[in-house]
Formats: sequence, C-alpha cells, structure tokens
Amino acid sequence: MKFKSQSISWAFFAAALGLFALQLVYGFIMGFARVGMDGLHEWIPFNVARAVHTNLLVVWLITGFMGAAYWIIPDEADRELWSPKLAWIQFWSLMAVGVTAVIGYHFQWWEGRKFLEIPRALDWLVVANVLTFLFNILMTIWKGRHMTTTASVLFFGLLTAALLYLPGMITFESAVLDSYFRWWVVHLWVEGVWELILGAVLSYLLIKMTGIDREIIEKWLYVIVGLTFLSGILGTGHHYYYTGAPRYWLIVGGVFSALEPLAFLGMAIYAIAMARKGGRDHPNKVAMRWTLGCAVMSFIGAGFLGFAHTLPQVNMWTHGTLVTAMHGHMAFWGAYAMMVLAIIAYAMPQMTGRVRYRGWVAETSFWTTNIGMAGMTGAFAVMGIAQVYLERKSGMDFLDVQEAIEVHSWGLILAASLFAVGALLFIRNFLSYGRPNTEELAA
Amino acid sequence: MLSKSGAKAFFLGGTFLCATAFVLLTLDTLAQFPERSNEENLTEEVIAGWKIWERSNCMGCHTLMGEGAYYAPELTRVIERRGTPWIREFLKDPQKFFPGRRKMIKYDFFDPAVDPEADENLDHILAFFAWIQEVDTNGFPPKPDIVTQQAAAPMPGAASAVDAWAGAPDYFKAVCTGCHAVAGQGGNVGPALDGVATRYERDYLVNWIADPQAVKPGTTMPALGLDPETLEQIVSYLETLK
Repeated sequence: MKFKSQSISWAFFAAALGLFALQLVYGFIMGFARVGMDGLHEWIPFNVARAVHTNLLVVWLITGFMGAAYWIIPDEADRELWSPKLAWIQFWSLMAVGVTAVIGYHFQWWEGRKFLEIPRALDWLVVANVLTFLFNILMTIWKGRHMTTTASVLFFGLLTAALLYLPGMITFESAVLDSYFRWWVVHLWVEGVWELILGAVLSYLLIKMTGIDREIIEKWLYVIVGLTFLSGILGTGHHYYYTGAPRYWLIVGGVFSALEPLAFLGMAIYAIAMARKGGRDHPNKVAMRWTLGCAVMSFIGAGFLGFAHTLPQVNMWTHGTLVTAMHGHMAFWGAYAMMVLAIIAYAMPQMTGRVRYRGWVAETSFWTTNIGMAGMTGAFAVMGIAQVYLERKSGMDFLDVQEAIEVHSWGLILAASLFAVGALLFIRNFLSYGRPNTEELAA
Repeated sequence: MLSKSGAKAFFLGGTFLCATAFVLLTLDTLAQFPERSNEENLTEEVIAGWKIWERSNCMGCHTLMGEGAYYAPELTRVIERRGTPWIREFLKDPQKFFPGRRKMIKYDFFDPAVDPEADENLDHILAFFAWIQEVDTNGFPPKPDIVTQQAAAPMPGAASAVDAWAGAPDYFKAVCTGCHAVAGQGGNVGPALDGVATRYERDYLVNWIADPQAVKPGTTMPALGLDPETLEQIVSYLETLK
C-alpha cells in the first residue's frame, strides 16, 4: 500500500462481502419457494425476496466499485485521497441508505420497477451520496501528480453511471414510457458504463500484475471500451422489441446487441494475451486467477449467453422466461462480481501486509464458486428452455409447466449450495487478512 | 499499427456517433408512443390500476410485456386468456383457486369483505390490463405454434371446449370452469360436474353456490356473491348435466 488513505477500501470491501452473503440468503429463499417450500410466504413473499436479492446485488457491487476506486485512484494519481474523512462519511451514509432500503422492502416501501425499487425519497440520498464520492475522487485526480488513462476511464465510468441514474427518477403516467426509460438506467449501466469500470479495473490489475507497459495496456483499454459503446448504446434496443416501442428496434437492437459479445471477447483475449506476454511472475496467483476468470466468465455469461437469446427471432419466445435468469446470473457474476473479488484478492495482501493467498482456502473458493455458478446457469437453462417449449410454444398452463420443471430447482439449489460454500470460503479468506496495517507507512 | 491516440479517437468518435443515433431514435420513439400505446385510452382508472401494479411490485413475481420475474404468469394478455369475471374472483382470494399450489399474496384491497373500496380497486387493475393488452408490442407474447399443428390434426372422439360447455352461461365458462370440468374440459381443483343434476336437487345447488360455507363448513369452494339472475342461469345450466 502506497498511501494510508487507501486503507479506507477495506471498509467498502468488508461491507460488499457482507451484503453479498446476505444476497445469497434471499436467493435461497426464492430457490426453496420454487420447490414448494414457501413457509416464509407470509413474511417474505417472493416479490420481497426478489427485490432484496437484486438490490443487494446492485448495492454490493457499487460498494465494491467504490472500494476499488478508493484503492486505485490514490495509487494512479500518486497522492493521498483528497479527504479520507469525507470518504468515511460517504461510507456510513451509503450503508445507512442501503440498509434502510432493504428493510423498507420488507414493508412494501418500494417502487415496483425491477432493479430500481428504491423509493424516490431514498433515490435523492443515493444521488447525494454518489456525488460526494465522485467529488472526492475527482479532487484526488485533479490534485494528483498523474492523470492516467486508467484513472480517467474509471472516473468517466463512475460519473456516467451516476448521471444515468437520473432517467430512472422521472415520473411518468404511462407504464410504457416508464419501462422505456427504466432501461436507460439498467441497460446503459450493465451493458454500457459499468463496463468502463470493469475495463479500467482489469487494466489496473493487469498493469500491476503482468508488468507490461502501461501504454500498451491502456491502448487496448480504449479499443475495448470503444467496442463496448459502439455495440452497447444502440444494443439497448433489445429491451425495446416487445414493450411498445417501434418495430425498427428489432433491427437496431438485434444488429448492435449481436455485436456486444465482441467487447467481452476482446476483453478476454486482451487479459489472457497480456498475462501470457507479461514477464513478471506475480506471486499473488489467486488474484491473477480472479482477474483472468473475470475476463473469461464475463465473455461466457454476458457475451455468449446474452447473444444466445438476444436476436428478436429467439427473444420473441424466450423473453420473460427463466432463460433470462440463466443469462443474468452468469453475466453479473462473471463481469461484475468477479471483478470486485479480483480487486479484493489483489489489494488485501498489500493493505494488510499479510500473505493469505497461498493454500487451499483461496484456491478452493475460486473453483467452487465458479463451478457452482456454472451449475446454477445450467439449471436455469434447462428450466428456461423447457418453459419456452412447454408454455410458449405448445400453450401449456404456466403453473403446470412450473410444476413439471420443479425438479430442476433442486439442481439449482444444489449448485447454489456449492456456490455459497465458495463464497463463504472467500469471506473466510478475507477475514484471515485482518485489518489494514498502516504502521509501516506511518513510520 | 494502431496508436494509443488512434484508439482514443475510435472510442470517443464511436461513442459520440452511437449516442447521437440513440438520442435521435429515442425522439422518434417518443413521437410514436402515443399512437402505439393508445394514449387517448390512458384514463385515470388505467393510471390508478398501474399505481396498484407498481405499489404492490407485481413484477416481483409476474412479467408484463415480458418484464419482471419468472415466478408467476405473464400478464400482458391476461384478460384475453382468462376473462374479467375470473380475474375479479381470483384476485379476491388467489389461493382458493389453486389450493396447495404456488401462492400469490392475498391483497386486502382486492377483498370486498375487508376493504369497501375493493371493487373500485379491481376495476382499476382490470382497466390497466385492458389498456396494456392493446399496446402494440410487435406481436408479443406469441401464439403457441406447436399446438396449432396438433390441433389441426383431427383427434377422434375429442370434444372441443366449446362443444363441452354448450349452453353454459358466460359466467360459468369464465369462472366455474377454472376449477370444475365438464366433459373433460376445465380445471381439476373441484369435482367434475358431469351428471351433477343426478346427484343434487335444484334447491341444494342454489343454497350451495350462494353460500358454500353454510352447507359444508371448511369447504374450499368460494362464495362468489352472484346476483340472483346469474345464479339462476348457472343452476338451470347445471340441471341439464344429467
């Protein structure tokens, strides 16, 4: 660790992992409800569990992004964080808003809009919080000794993510319009500006761990984020096929979202090529594994599985079935969850001065989470495809179909259990590092 | 070989072009929405129905225009599929229609026994469904295309639902058949009604349908609160099932 203020990331990482663990609990509530074990229905019905599950995901990823930024930006700018005190205020207020939102969902204090359930009053607090964060980051870059491409792409990603939150706060009277602009937030986040954050974090990790010249890595970073926006912005059209928007979105969305995998493929090839070319054999092999794993799994989950049902001819039948859940799980895991875990795995030894990346715990965590997630994706795929053919193509009743495919929910639960074991091992590994050690720096 | 500044120009240029195209397409889309979504029919009632939809986070289980969760049925064309009388009865107490199966939350604001405004709320949510079903969704949800081929091939001896329920009043077709079958067509929650007239007298049927709990406490058969005319039509129809 170069700067004392970087240690503030620890709080963000710890909170992110805590929320991640809680997210899994709500996932299990839904998994068991699918096999008829819905004893919690009176207190936590499916729509509550679902809102909590997806919102915890968003909150823990954003918490992780912020932790990553507080770690990376001082390093790249080559100075202490502009105001560690402000960062602490921002941390605790973020937690307060997040926890309030999650508790509120249990009492139906929400907006019934997928992924954007946070009620309007709290939306404003989120905005204030994120502005505080961005201001702190911007001041650090501004006053810093360097303005690197990696840092600017990271900042640009975070800034546009904040700006794109606003279209989700417009009030409409028409459900069709509301849906249209909801995707400005959700799609342009995960298939747009979040990929800038992803690209920048990967680029930082590759620069640090492979020893390859920054200029080369950052050049390819530009190419990749360029491909992302070239495909991703108009790729929003794949959400507009069947929601009341004009017919030309079938073509625009189809063509451009078919190009989206290119950005992810580029990212995977770039990460692997850089790792191969890199002369330095970095001792933190687990962090390297999460970094490359992230690049590969985001291609499989977001790129390949997204492509699998993005063309209008296919999506006509799969839209609104469990096929979407198949793609969604591995996409978020590969692209964003693994990225946060990668930066945690990389930063912890430096932050604490302890070596905990050797041994079975760190290693097993990587493989069990990924095998578990592959299994879950498989279970969702089987359920989704069966649902498409039974319900959509041959007109069987929804509930009869769900009961026919119920056995695969057991497969889902089994795979999820394996995944959860891996996640807990990661948390155990994280805890074994202990608190940040700033003594050496102070001395 | 591509230089770093070249790569940066590619990123900035591509982003600018695509963002501009996206904004222009959005403007055109916004201009087309009023017609495609029949904005003239977007009444206070419809908006009130949408507020119920949103406040209850219905898309936390259902999908609408394919958006939402995958725990409960797609509802874009639910009126076409189920008819308003059935939906109205169903929403008052969802579990009674599917005992022992996947649960939907029972909302008090849809239950006239609990909330005096329940009927109004039901009108609103139905108005919302009626509006959304007319939105031009480019053909979503698609009609099943495998079953059509099967149905086209004649199946010896099979009576279509229309034949099976010949002579039944509309309310019977829309609501009762959700649980009861006649001539093999209909639900299997309650007993099939073939030959029901040979087992029960007219008076018994009238009393039973008007207030099932009074006749057989604990039964899952719901009190439907029928007006005398509809009750009369249904019983007269049941009397033909010998």
